[in-house]
Amino acid sequence: MKYGFVIDHRRCIGCHACTVACKSENEVPLGSYRTWVKYVEQGQYPDTSRSFAVLRCNHCENAPCVTICPVTALFKRDNGIVDFDGRRCIGCKACMQACPYDALYINPFTNTAEKCNFCAHRVELGLQPACVVVCPEQAIIAGDLDNPLSKISSLIASENTQVRKPEAQTLPKLYYIETSSAALKPVEQTHSGGYIWAEQKPDPIRDDQEAMFQAETKARTTYDVAHDRPWGWKVSAYLFTKSVSAGAFIVAALALTLSQTMNRWLFDVAAPIVALAFLAVTTALLVLDLKRPERFLSILFRPQWKSWLVLGGYTLLAFGGVVSIWLGAYVLEIDLIRPPLMWLGVILAALTAGYSAFLFRQARGRVFWNSPLVLPHLLVQSLIAGAAGLLIVAMGRSLLIGAPMEPASLNFLTYELLGSLIAHGVFISGELFSSDESIERHRTIRLITHGIFRKMFLRGAILIGLAAPIAAVAGALFLPEPLASYLVLTASFLSLLGVFCWEHTWVQAGQAVPLS
Amino acid sequence: MTLIDDDNPEELASQTLSNYPPVDQWEDWVEYDAKRWPEKVERHYSLVPTVCFNCEAACGLLAYVDKATGEIQKLEGNPLHPASRGRNCAKGPATINQVKDPERILYPLKRTGERGEGKWERTTWNEVLETLAQKIRTALKENRRTEVMYHVGRPGQDGYMDRVLQAWGVDGHNSHTNICSSSARLGYALWQGADRPSPDYANAKFMLLLSAHLETGHYFNPHAQRIIDAKMNGAKLAVVDPRLSNTASMADWWLSPWPGTEAAMLLAMARIILDEKLFDAEFVKRWVNWEEFLKIERPSLPCTFDTFIDELRILYSQFTPEFAADECGVEADKIVAIAREIGAAGSAFAAHIWRSAASGNLGGWQVARALMLLHVLTGSIGTKGGVSPNTWDKFVPAPHSKPQPQDVWSEVLWPIEYPLAHHEMSFLLPHLLKEGRGKVAAYFTRVYNPVWTNPDGMSWIEMLKDESRIELHAALTPVWSETALYADYILPMGLGPERHDLMSQETQASQWISFRQPVTRVARENKGEHIEFTYESNPGEVWEEDEFWIELSWRIDPDGELGIRRHFESPYRPGEKISVTEYYKWIFENSVPGLPEAAAKSGLAPLEYMRKHGAYMVKSGIYEQNEHSIPAHEREGSSVGTEGLVYADSPDGKKTIGLMMESEALRGFPTPSRKLEFYSKTMAEWKWPEHAIPGYVKSHVYWRDLDLGSGDFLLVPTFRLPTLIHTRSANAKWLYEISHTNPLWMNPVDAEKNGVENAQLVRVKTEIGYFVIRVWLTEGIRPGVVACSHHMGRWRVRQGEGTNRWASALVEIESLGKQKWRLRQLEGVAPFSSSDPDSNLLWWREAGVHQNLAFPVHPDPVSGMHCWHQRVRIVKTQDDDRYGDVMVDTNLSHQIYRQWLGKTRRAPGPDGLRRPLWFSRPVRPTRSAFNKE
Repeated sequence: MKYGFVIDHRRCIGCHACTVACKSENEVPLGSYRTWVKYVEQGQYPDTSRSFAVLRCNHCENAPCVTICPVTALFKRDNGIVDFDGRRCIGCKACMQACPYDALYINPFTNTAEKCNFCAHRVELGLQPACVVVCPEQAIIAGDLDNPLSKISSLIASENTQVRKPEAQTLPKLYYIETSSAALKPVEQTHSGGYIWAEQKPDPIRDDQEAMFQAETKARTTYDVAHDRPWGWKVSAYLFTKSVSAGAFIVAALALTLSQTMNRWLFDVAAPIVALAFLAVTTALLVLDLKRPERFLSILFRPQWKSWLVLGGYTLLAFGGVVSIWLGAYVLEIDLIRPPLMWLGVILAALTAGYSAFLFRQARGRVFWNSPLVLPHLLVQSLIAGAAGLLIVAMGRSLLIGAPMEPASLNFLTYELLGSLIAHGVFISGELFSSDESIERHRTIRLITHGIFRKMFLRGAILIGLAAPIAAVAGALFLPEPLASYLVLTASFLSLLGVFCWEHTWVQAGQAVPLS
Repeated sequence: MTLIDDDNPEELASQTLSNYPPVDQWEDWVEYDAKRWPEKVERHYSLVPTVCFNCEAACGLLAYVDKATGEIQKLEGNPLHPASRGRNCAKGPATINQVKDPERILYPLKRTGERGEGKWERTTWNEVLETLAQKIRTALKENRRTEVMYHVGRPGQDGYMDRVLQAWGVDGHNSHTNICSSSARLGYALWQGADRPSPDYANAKFMLLLSAHLETGHYFNPHAQRIIDAKMNGAKLAVVDPRLSNTASMADWWLSPWPGTEAAMLLAMARIILDEKLFDAEFVKRWVNWEEFLKIERPSLPCTFDTFIDELRILYSQFTPEFAADECGVEADKIVAIAREIGAAGSAFAAHIWRSAASGNLGGWQVARALMLLHVLTGSIGTKGGVSPNTWDKFVPAPHSKPQPQDVWSEVLWPIEYPLAHHEMSFLLPHLLKEGRGKVAAYFTRVYNPVWTNPDGMSWIEMLKDESRIELHAALTPVWSETALYADYILPMGLGPERHDLMSQETQASQWISFRQPVTRVARENKGEHIEFTYESNPGEVWEEDEFWIELSWRIDPDGELGIRRHFESPYRPGEKISVTEYYKWIFENSVPGLPEAAAKSGLAPLEYMRKHGAYMVKSGIYEQNEHSIPAHEREGSSVGTEGLVYADSPDGKKTIGLMMESEALRGFPTPSRKLEFYSKTMAEWKWPEHAIPGYVKSHVYWRDLDLGSGDFLLVPTFRLPTLIHTRSANAKWLYEISHTNPLWMNPVDAEKNGVENAQLVRVKTEIGYFVIRVWLTEGIRPGVVACSHHMGRWRVRQGEGTNRWASALVEIESLGKQKWRLRQLEGVAPFSSSDPDSNLLWWREAGVHQNLAFPVHPDPVSGMHCWHQRVRIVKTQDDDRYGDVMVDTNLSHQIYRQWLGKTRRAPGPDGLRRPLWFSRPVRPTRSAFNKE
């Protein structure tokens, strides 16, 4: 038993009955849609055509929303239906990033994720989904793909079908018969002309993109529904604070390993405190970004082990625990356990900094995030953030209490910062000059370098956040104190700003290309 | 009874899921709560069939009445309905929004301030009924029987109101037909007697739509199903529309001739069919009144069929494909290709025109006649896959008592200038009253919103505010409307699932009836509760009209002295007031052939059967009724005239019932000749001899008359969307979420020429004013033409009252003196707090722009149709202009009315008649009322 849909666009007349019947059956709130009809137009008068595309969850065989969901709120039934359980959902919105088809939304009343679930509550009773029943043209065919005698199987066997974004390797179980392929490919559409009988929600990111890639436009979208970009500043901020936390520990461990003469206060005390403080902020941001923050503990107590939100959550927990014990051991002078704990801590810190690469890779809808450079780049960013953070602490302390820090520690941190900044530059170049063929990735890069994210990227991440601190640190090497220290302090602040700007650019631009 | 499904049994067997719960479980159906799923929370429903009341197609609905709360949870389709077959358009399931509309009118309201001021107080139904009854009783007693007027937008029922009005003895039925379909009706009626087509799409091989039946119209959902079924079976589809409708987007050919030139294009197709001998000579020879044509118009020629064909070819010789291409702006080879397809389809050619070109243009009835010529030539009338007269495919059962027709003629409804109108000259009412042609003592508007819907709405406002012209105005409506604002009483009436009605429509080659029911009442009655009146189970004090009219009629004639009361007495309990249940019980027991037997087979009484199934197929596979013999009982007392016509012995006299062919009395068509009338003697006799045959009339917006280089455009102001229904869907949030604005469609070529950009505001100047609207550039429209959907631009004048906030803008209607008016939007759509939490999520801001206020009346001098298309000039906005502004001068509109009135040719016609006797006339009066004087 494997349920799937065929949408037969030889029959579909674009009447929206499916949308309304679905809203009625499932009481879907205004502004949210489990199924909707897109209109696209092509050609010049009088050879103008209009195509419809009924869009919804594809009930993927290989459903990325199920893989990324940390709490098994999304799950696949034995009959192939990808269903959800609102009682479990914590509102992390990761599923919205994982789905390459814009199928999910957050219900504003329950603050939990929902989508087409094939009317599983009806299927359970032997009834067709509401959209199938209402359709005047019987253009929506729901049935068992495993049964060769079913109508759906015979249609798939006898007609040419398409699926949306086969390259996402989700193995959709929704097959389209005869619609314009441009109607299924958001990157070939432009919304700039406005809609036939509805307003467009303002979307400067889309507008900018469409203006830049006019040449790739094959169709004019004349009716569509709006989809939010689910992750905002809190996610960028969480990446940033996590970098500081992990980086502070890694940098301290490196320092302590390299030399016995390093400043004990800075690396044994301040660094773990910084790590723990930023870890706390990271956790707070993570929780606050949930639409159901009170259900946060479900990540730990109802884990779905394939989700990097779960693995990440445990990583953060473990990292926090190890750092706390390591710090505690210093205070209580239990030196014996400190070295092994430190190395365990380094591994966990690296995981803390880097696990997001695996999480963002699970966001299959967002092609830009799916790059092999993300993991090492996140590590490099955490090294910048750690060094810069500790430099600020060290110099801040010197300024406050007037006692200068010994040069060895400062030099170590300064060189470490310089090296990481240079590596950061290399990785950014790697991300932006990659030869990836994917159109989504190509577009995202252009939006960063020439489009709506250019200002934040070029000014924030590159000029102020990368070039300026490199120049400042380099300058400090040749200048006397206290000018050198001030330059390094400035460079530290700018580096942190630069890391945040890049991470924010990366998160925002990664969501820029429309999924549907 | 089995579920109606087209799927073949083999496919059905392989399906594991069914569309509907089994009928035998409808009284207690258990479903899982969708919102609680995957938790399995059971909810028990009583499933009660009813009929959708959004458009007029009468599709079946199945209400899920929650047994715990007694409330409707949702509405799906009724799988037992022969036309809609369990499927619906978006408007069907959206009915639940209307039922749960947080701004519903739940109690009768009485005006407290001036008319139109918008001040109301709650009143009692008793007061309403007493006031109206006294007003009507006085009028009847004083023999002012044209001063009671029932003005209906959507009938939503068959025959009920005709009976009420005739029981009262008034000539007071007014409708919306002349802003809708008069010209198409006249065109069809002149040919075949019946004024509507019934295309058999399901079996067609070629379809030509001058309509948008894949998204709107009579009867959208049933017809759209059958059109696509035919397409999937290999039929081809051509669509004629100046804009790319969704229907056109599904077509094999989209033709967008200059609006107003459609008849020329169709006649060019006819010429090809004639020239290439693609016509059905046998059919034409047998069923067309060619002999009458030759005898009267070509008396010197031999009266042979070959002569007729030769004459036809001469008559239409000018309509070459090249001429048509030049005149219509459509490629000649497309016209030729389609003509050949039509010829090849032969008797399986189905076409349709109802509004569009017919209602847009002066002489639009000639478009319908030209289209019918194609049917006649191909012999595709009454055939499988062809088109039948609608009367064959509609069944209206008789009620228990039928009052005598009224012997009075209303000059305000049927003015002397429009003897051939189809039908009441409804939209001229303000002008006719202004001219002193009469007044109205009691005016009922019922699901009718002329202030917003009709052209020249400001003249309607002026009239409605004048208490000497409209003495008492009661608005019977399930929803707020712009017109209700000018009522003395607003009377909340039930929505589709809150009322009884009986409906039948010609959706296919069969006859069916469907039963609209108050579903919560039926669900409670099924549980054994006794409910006397539907309002007991409806929300608030919402009545159903059937009960209202019974109650009002009793109060008009409490002692029976006026002879009214007896028509509202129970056929089961002599002398007592009829109940709505008894009214339909009698019909089902006595007037629907086969129903009592079918019910008995299911072990049910006829009423129980209809309560449970909601629909009944009376007869299917109806074709070639013209070839049917007249049964012996009908021939009793009849006589055969000289032309072979069979005359009935009717009080009308001269009424034909058939014609003799090969010594058999056949039914034929309900025309004077009982044949298809290529030549209309009626047109000739009623002073339009130049239009006695199908031809091409230049429209009032003929494109060559436009100054196209100087900002002149041809505005197509009437097109519908698949999601909305005129003025009644404002209370459906899901429909407005999909469609809520109506930009002006313009081709980029025109934009370039006129220096207009996409989304720019422009002023659209009409003959009597202008409106300010946003431009939408699209390749989906013919250059030179602009188009704007008429659905949007709803308004309210007070915050929190009036047209629903999902759909309307808050406006100010300001008098600028000397009958100049300005409507200005003060606030667009915005979120609001209500019992429906969704109202806080309302995300769209525009309510669209109203156009009709800025249009003068354009009554076609023959059909009486308001010719909707406008010649407009598009100019840049001026400083003070705002989105949605409408400026109107009603003095100008009256002048334009007078100009168009000047084009008419007045009654009386032959024999001193006001109207040809063979023409239909709603709520037909006595024969003597047809006599002028």
